[in-house]
Amino acid sequence: MSSVDVLDWIQSTPASHWISKSNHLLIAGFQVIHVMGFILLLASLVLISLRLLGLIFTQQTVPQVAKDATRLLWVGFAMAVGSGILMFIGSPKHYFYNPAFDVKMLLLLLAVIVQALFFGRVAATEMQKPWLARTAVALSLVLWFAVSMAGRAIGFV
Amino acid sequence: MPTIAAIADAIEATTVGTAIAESRYTFPIIEGTHLIALSVSVGLIFLTDLRLLGLILRHVPVARVLHGLRPYVLSGFALVFVSGGLLFWAEAATVIKSPAWIFKFAFIGLAGLNALYFEFVIARRPGALAVVPVLPRGVKYAGLASLTIWTLVIICGRLIAYLPNWS
Repeated sequence: MSSVDVLDWIQSTPASHWISKSNHLLIAGFQVIHVMGFILLLASLVLISLRLLGLIFTQQTVPQVAKDATRLLWVGFAMAVGSGILMFIGSPKHYFYNPAFDVKMLLLLLAVIVQALFFGRVAATEMQKPWLARTAVALSLVLWFAVSMAGRAIGFV
Repeated sequence: MPTIAAIADAIEATTVGTAIAESRYTFPIIEGTHLIALSVSVGLIFLTDLRLLGLILRHVPVARVLHGLRPYVLSGFALVFVSGGLLFWAEAATVIKSPAWIFKFAFIGLAGLNALYFEFVIARRPGALAVVPVLPRGVKYAGLASLTIWTLVIICGRLIAYLPNWS
């Protein structure tokens, strides 16, 4: 089964028909949830990063600050991914054949791996080495900023 | 409103306005910057509001959250205004026709008034920002108001492209 078959199949589902045939404000609604989710994700990431760099809330430990913010980060992620999947189902070929979309998905995969396996672990440690904290912050911020830039580019490519 | 439309047309027709609108990369890069900068400024305001409501970071005193995050919120806003100003420069005549654009700025004004009222009235009441698990009701209402108004700003901002005019 080739990728075209998969895209054709997605396009033939009732869910795809419903999304693509409904009022354009439905897509606008998905877009709003997508942006709100992304804002929550990025703000939580920035908050944990500021604490990792020792710039805020130094009377609390990193894990104390990171606990709530990490939960919120993944809530934002779920909102962005959920709405993103619905937009993709609505017009799979429009997205699949867009080079900016491919770049975004690749960056997204990298960002999620770094977040779950590296940044998340550093932020859960009581006393981390400063260089490790700085590396995690730089890598995560660059990747997520790049994801949002590539996402914004989808509409222009 | 022929004068306002004429002014907007003139803004858009300037060299800089045309350059931004016609460049293949400049416009999306400025939009991306606008999005990232507002994720920092408005995003950190959302986190502050959730703290005022007592939903997150309960062990960090509210005063510390407000003062610690302020420089990052303000620098984020500086970048939001610059990038937003450049976007307006490039499409002034188009966006002013959108009801979503007008409501977006009305809500930004409201959010500003709410922040000023919080800063100069609510936060100055005795014990408003005390180190207690549950904050006074006025503080919670201010947080809820801010969360609601900024959400409306984001919704209107995203809708500008979807609601180009009143009809």
